[in-house]
Amino acid sequence: MLRATLKGMAARKARLILTSLAVVLGSAFIAAALVLTASIRATVDDLSGDAYKGADVIVQPVEPENRGDRLVRDGVAAETLAAIEANGDVADVSTTVTWMVNALGEDGKIVGGFAPTMAVNWGDESVEREMREGRAPEADGEVAVSAQFVTESGLGLGDTVTAYSLSTDETPYEIVGVYGYAGGRDSLSGSTELAFTTTEAQRLVFGGEDVYSAVAVTAADGVDADELLKALEPAVGAESEAITHQAYVDDLNAESAEVTSVIGYFLLGFGLIAVFVSVFLIANTFSIVIAGRLKEIAMMRAIGAGRGQIIRSVLAEAGLLGAAAAAVGAGLGVAAGAGLTSVIANGFLDTATTSVAIPWSAPLAAVAVGLGVTVLSALVPAVRASKTPPVEAMREAVKADKPITGITVTGLVVTLLGAAGIILGLNETFGSDDANLIAAAVGAGVVFIGVALLTAWLSKPVVALLGAVWSWSFAGRLGRLNASRNPRRTAVTAAALMIGVTLVTATATLLTSVKESLAERFDTTIKAELFVTGPVTASVPATFDPEVMDEIRAVDGVEAAVDLYYDLAQIDGTEQYVNASSDIEGAVTQFGGVVAEGSMKDLGEGEIAANDAAAEQLGIGIGDTVTATFSRGTEAHEFTLVAIIADNEESDGFYVDPAYTAEFYTPKPNMALVDVADGADVGDVTAEVEDLIADQPSVSVQNHEEYLSQVTVFFDYAIIAIQLLLALAMIVAVIGVVNTLVLSVLERTRELGMLRAIGMTRGQTTRMVTVESVTIALFGALLGIGTGLLLGWIVQQALAPTGIESFAIPTALIAAYLAASVLVGLLAAIAPAVRASKVDILGAISYE
Amino acid sequence: MSTASPVKTTAVSAEGVWKAYGTGEAQVVALRDVSVQFASGAFTAIMGPSGSGKSTLMHCLAGLDTTDRGTVHIGDTPVTGLSDKALTKLRRDKIGFIFQQFNLLPTLTAEENITLPAAIAGAKADPDWIKKIIHTLDLTDRLSHKPTELSGGQQQRVACARALASRPEVVFADEPTGNLDTRSGAEVLRFLRTSVDEFGQTIVMVTHDPSAAAYADRVVFLADGQIVEDMTEPTADKVIDKMKHFEELVAAAQEAAA
Repeated sequence: MLRATLKGMAARKARLILTSLAVVLGSAFIAAALVLTASIRATVDDLSGDAYKGADVIVQPVEPENRGDRLVRDGVAAETLAAIEANGDVADVSTTVTWMVNALGEDGKIVGGFAPTMAVNWGDESVEREMREGRAPEADGEVAVSAQFVTESGLGLGDTVTAYSLSTDETPYEIVGVYGYAGGRDSLSGSTELAFTTTEAQRLVFGGEDVYSAVAVTAADGVDADELLKALEPAVGAESEAITHQAYVDDLNAESAEVTSVIGYFLLGFGLIAVFVSVFLIANTFSIVIAGRLKEIAMMRAIGAGRGQIIRSVLAEAGLLGAAAAAVGAGLGVAAGAGLTSVIANGFLDTATTSVAIPWSAPLAAVAVGLGVTVLSALVPAVRASKTPPVEAMREAVKADKPITGITVTGLVVTLLGAAGIILGLNETFGSDDANLIAAAVGAGVVFIGVALLTAWLSKPVVALLGAVWSWSFAGRLGRLNASRNPRRTAVTAAALMIGVTLVTATATLLTSVKESLAERFDTTIKAELFVTGPVTASVPATFDPEVMDEIRAVDGVEAAVDLYYDLAQIDGTEQYVNASSDIEGAVTQFGGVVAEGSMKDLGEGEIAANDAAAEQLGIGIGDTVTATFSRGTEAHEFTLVAIIADNEESDGFYVDPAYTAEFYTPKPNMALVDVADGADVGDVTAEVEDLIADQPSVSVQNHEEYLSQVTVFFDYAIIAIQLLLALAMIVAVIGVVNTLVLSVLERTRELGMLRAIGMTRGQTTRMVTVESVTIALFGALLGIGTGLLLGWIVQQALAPTGIESFAIPTALIAAYLAASVLVGLLAAIAPAVRASKVDILGAISYE
Repeated sequence: MSTASPVKTTAVSAEGVWKAYGTGEAQVVALRDVSVQFASGAFTAIMGPSGSGKSTLMHCLAGLDTTDRGTVHIGDTPVTGLSDKALTKLRRDKIGFIFQQFNLLPTLTAEENITLPAAIAGAKADPDWIKKIIHTLDLTDRLSHKPTELSGGQQQRVACARALASRPEVVFADEPTGNLDTRSGAEVLRFLRTSVDEFGQTIVMVTHDPSAAAYADRVVFLADGQIVEDMTEPTADKVIDKMKHFEELVAAAQEAAA
């Protein structure tokens, strides 16, 4: 029996290759995802290992990165440094002073996008820097800049660059040097960097305090890291901590592991979706291949093969095919993963070297998944094949399609069950919000599966509807009829495309709804038409001179203008946003808030106002006392709650008098709201305010739309990222449609021969197959879009209580999906259509 | 679309046609210098044993296969040397086909199958003519059925209607009764006879069934790629009698050729 299987496989190479493609792709994605994740981690780990190379112990402030979410840095005190230097076991000491700054480029705008701009002292040894031009900064007015900074700012050696931090004003520096990093790199992970003298760096980072971000210590000969650690203990004190270089690197690795594992899950998700889609393709291909072999199987049964033998023979074929294809896929995947690693490492991480790590799990998982999926997918067709009655071999009859009643009823039941879950969840039938959300989400997933089962049933009406588009051409009409000829086959093929389109449509719909909800709430609650603020991507918030406020208020057509400062403070042991303004009541009004209790008039020293949500969170009422420590504050202040504000959702937390802003993260205002009077021209006011702030290039005048587009730019990136998912689904879908079409063309050879014999041209034949292909693809896309919109709507409804109140349809994206599906149909049709148009008429019509 | 003229003109002619398959040792000569004319408005049967070249001759006449040497004409149109496009157009406009396997499109109804050639040509079939054929073939109450809902005889009658729908210059029928029971076969043959007698249709039919050949006006016998006998006004008995002495005929033909 096995021999017969093998010979049978050898005789059907074309079909085998088509079936294998789906398996190869699925396996390759899994292997590539695992290799890529492991390699990126290895590469990043290498990068961490190079930090403070040669040092034995690193001394840093306790919890240096962020104490909670505190925005202001702590440092290692100068006395600690002196004590370390004085220690006999210490051979060498280097210091690091670093944090984010803003620098203005040639155009006067803040340099940088998502990657930060860093200030550092030139003596820092955390990375190896190589001077390319010029020299190191020697005076406080001098700076050396990274090559990436030169690229992004447009400035160069000899130019003057303006930089500032939250603790310094805009200061001009002369660029005296341009440097790169070990391995010829221009940048570390895309960031730009400015290197100052140590004292200037301390002024920028610590407001001039003689403290350090970190101290790297090298042990004297004969002293190991642990001994040095012990010896330094008395010198370090309680404010700082000493850790071995190894521990420091491990910490860095643990941090980067969090990021790399997110990338890994993301990639693995892609792989699993590819596998999920390939299940449809493999099952479909096997069904078609076996349907085409029913006569042969019946003949085998007639000469005495048992049902078990038939099943085993089909499964053996699937097993051999799956193993071979999965092995190829694993190999390709490992290679692709390794190749992608260098692309990502060079393109995004700016690493000098890439380490390719191939974990055993990669090929093993790929082969296991590929093999398992193939055999499982072949099981149903195998059992069906074994039921072929032997008389089938002698009969030459046109077989009617199998009824789709069973699958349709199942699909309906599943869809209704899911819908019930959604309705119960959305109507808040269950006790907790979480339970309702879960019910709606699970219901949505179940509906998805239900609709996938219903595709066969849906294919008739939808394809008939689509057919109207092609009815002008007879070949098109035949193609449309062919597409609805075998609803099962059309459905499974379309389902492969539907899955991907559903996922991206649902996500895009949700993200668009979130954006829309934000915009709508913004427009309805915020009175001010204009904002004066800097780019949200600036390394430190852009601030402006508060004196300009009076001039803005004096502009013709300005009804009101309020300045805003903000800080993340510790209030009664919790992190809270605190705002300040020279006109607090005006600010609250601009945000649409109202004073619900107490009064904010003349909010003075020791007095605080709270949003109702914040007051509720801390359980405080009017007259109660809270303790607050601001970012730059060294001591706690006591405040009495004098007002509670309601309906102030666009502004968080608390309000205090501007007298405290010296201790704020932004000691200067970082935003102004400008309310334009009714009837005044917003454009004129914008132009006048722009003139007033012309000497402060890091802030600009923005309207709602401009401001929101900055805030929601993250969503745009997320939407772009999920389009990659679509691209992947499309590739798999193309293969699926090609498979179905090629096999259909093979099955219909005689019919094609007849059509050609009675006068159908090659062009008409090509059109007929192309229409069938495009119809299937469009059907899949339409189902996906419909289901995706439904799922997006369900999730939006479920999230409505959290503020996502608007439902928005991403029309442009949906149009693009439809266009892409037509492209999929066209691409998939090429090979089968050419094959169909070249059918050998004589061979096709001669009797057997 | 021409109607057959009362004057006997030639609908299809072959002149010195040669056709061989394969090369070297494996070469099989299917047709050796065949020259034959088929008159308009006549029903001709081509007979011969398996491998005699009768199907090849029909394929060459119908423009489905190319000839190695010699020329073929359909009416005044030379078939030999036409491009694929021109051949396709020729088949569409001037030739009708009836196959042994019926070869109907399962996605279309009987009526749609009948008007298929016109639809492919993007033309409208003559409704009176179609009605007449459908009536003659007794298919009136089967028009909305799909092929799977029809018996073999009904399917072949639909195929006959399709072949005649565009009033082709010639209809080629390839073993049209090969897949049918005796009664259904006889119905189909009677219709072919009727279409010649009443509509002036030209029909060339390949068959190996003597009783089928008896419906024709003339029988051309093929053996080893050559025409060995040309019989007019055949009856089943005459045909069977001729086939009994086939070896002698072949031997005589070979001697003549040598």
